[in-house]
Amino acid sequence: MRRLATPVLGGARAVILHRPHPTVEALMRQLSAIGLLSAAQWPDLDPSALGANFVFFDVDRGHDAQFPWKPGEAPMPMIALIGSEAPGRIEWALSMGADAQLLKPVGDGGVYSALLIAHSAFVARRRLAAEVQGLRARLAERRTVLRAVLALAEGQGEEAGYAALRRRAMDWRVTVEEAAARILAACPDKEGGRHVRRRRPA
Amino acid sequence: MTVVRIGLLLSRSGTYRLLAEACRAGALRAVREVNADPSLAVTFEPVERDPAGEADAYAPLCAELAAEGARHVVGCVTSWSRKEVIPTLERTGTVLWYPCPYEGFEASSQVVYTHACPSQHLVPLLAWALPRLGRRAILTGSNYIWGWETNRVARDLIEGAGGAVLAERHLPLGDEDVARLLAEIRAMRPDFVLNSLVGASSYAFLRAMADLRAGGLTIPILSCNLTECELPALGAAAEGLIAAGPSFGEGLGSFETAAHAAVLSLARRMAHTGAGAPLEDLLAAPDGGVLAIDPATHHATLPALIAQVRNGAFHVLERQEAVAADPYLARRPVLAAAPHLRAVAP
Repeated sequence: MRRLATPVLGGARAVILHRPHPTVEALMRQLSAIGLLSAAQWPDLDPSALGANFVFFDVDRGHDAQFPWKPGEAPMPMIALIGSEAPGRIEWALSMGADAQLLKPVGDGGVYSALLIAHSAFVARRRLAAEVQGLRARLAERRTVLRAVLALAEGQGEEAGYAALRRRAMDWRVTVEEAAARILAACPDKEGGRHVRRRRPA
Repeated sequence: MTVVRIGLLLSRSGTYRLLAEACRAGALRAVREVNADPSLAVTFEPVERDPAGEADAYAPLCAELAAEGARHVVGCVTSWSRKEVIPTLERTGTVLWYPCPYEGFEASSQVVYTHACPSQHLVPLLAWALPRLGRRAILTGSNYIWGWETNRVARDLIEGAGGAVLAERHLPLGDEDVARLLAEIRAMRPDFVLNSLVGASSYAFLRAMADLRAGGLTIPILSCNLTECELPALGAAAEGLIAAGPSFGEGLGSFETAAHAAVLSLARRMAHTGAGAPLEDLLAAPDGGVLAIDPATHHATLPALIAQVRNGAFHVLERQEAVAADPYLARRPVLAAAPHLRAVAP
């Protein structure tokens, strides 16, 4: 079982995007008991919210323009405050990138688990996104690698060419893709530089 | 003079009966004192229910107390039972004054926590133990939230200090089969065992450890829930045990003290606000220094003592005054490790 890395919540900042309401008071009471500093904002999130560690947002009356970032690009864990459980509203909460949710009215519990679940989901999502980005970048360099392998093979075959490329990458302490780009850049007669996708002739 | 009904929801039978009886004795002693004090504008009339150690009996009995007009209830020993009654407290507007140590990670608006949470028992206990006893631990506890969460926090603290948890074993509430646990302790010889077992399981474990000691193997045992009220049941088996708590050497121990303080504090606060005041007003009222309750968390600020059983009585080894409760351990504690290396004199 993976052990939960409990985030340090003492002194963390939470911003609540919700109109003044007893739900906000209940939420702030729980946040303060847990050790967070919290502030409520309405009708829009102030740019200062960019520095918050957590954002709670109202799903019932929420819309894209309230946020100083694009849907799904929040730089912190987001927790949806859901009143009407209508599919359209849930869909919007998901499009905003909700990592966890709390049902309204917020009473005496639920905030601590929402914080931990949102934090864990946010960290996992960010890690996956970084991994996908890395894999995409490597995928885009397929042809660069292929051409560097051919350039290094010098008639010895593809295996020898790839071994030579890997050796250089290790010597230079860079990725195989980066090494391939350097090798091609160093020999302009091999059409130099990285692979550039050419437009097909019309 | 206003007569106020006060509920007692404590088990007079079952495996943790001794703890509940200590709470009951403390609450009733305070009721007698309040009723004998003409300067207080209230007298208390106790109404009691006995859940007999059955977790599922607590919520319906708590509802009965509320229906009989008790807006304040002293009771529950296990966290399991406390969590069972919270929905009833919310529905009926009743307040629970909870007089026992627990594992933290709760701050109900309907509960006042008058005994210690981990920042006041487990953290000071391990801070005392790691540099003195060593960092290789075995953790044991009863198979419910108290044992689980106490041991999880202990594991974080021990591993954070560079120590190791050699084994972690949980026994069902009331189970007395400690043979496997003992076999592991004999085989691994930890620097200490943290015992979060409750009731009969704890007594069976401590007796088996006493036999081990008689056989020549002494391993220190630490506890966050052992107090004077269980010493008669343990006799010589409690010798050497090291416990953390907010008070030692007072009557039946800190459970009794916490229940007594809860009732006395409530009466004094009611004398200022009137008996029907909402909890927030009661908590804002003075009580002559009986219990300092943090209005944000409803937890008491308490002394944190480390004590050892010597010749049948607790002997205090260390004392910190007025430790604020941090129920969610938001101020992440990090403990100093025992030094790996010692300076060698030239």
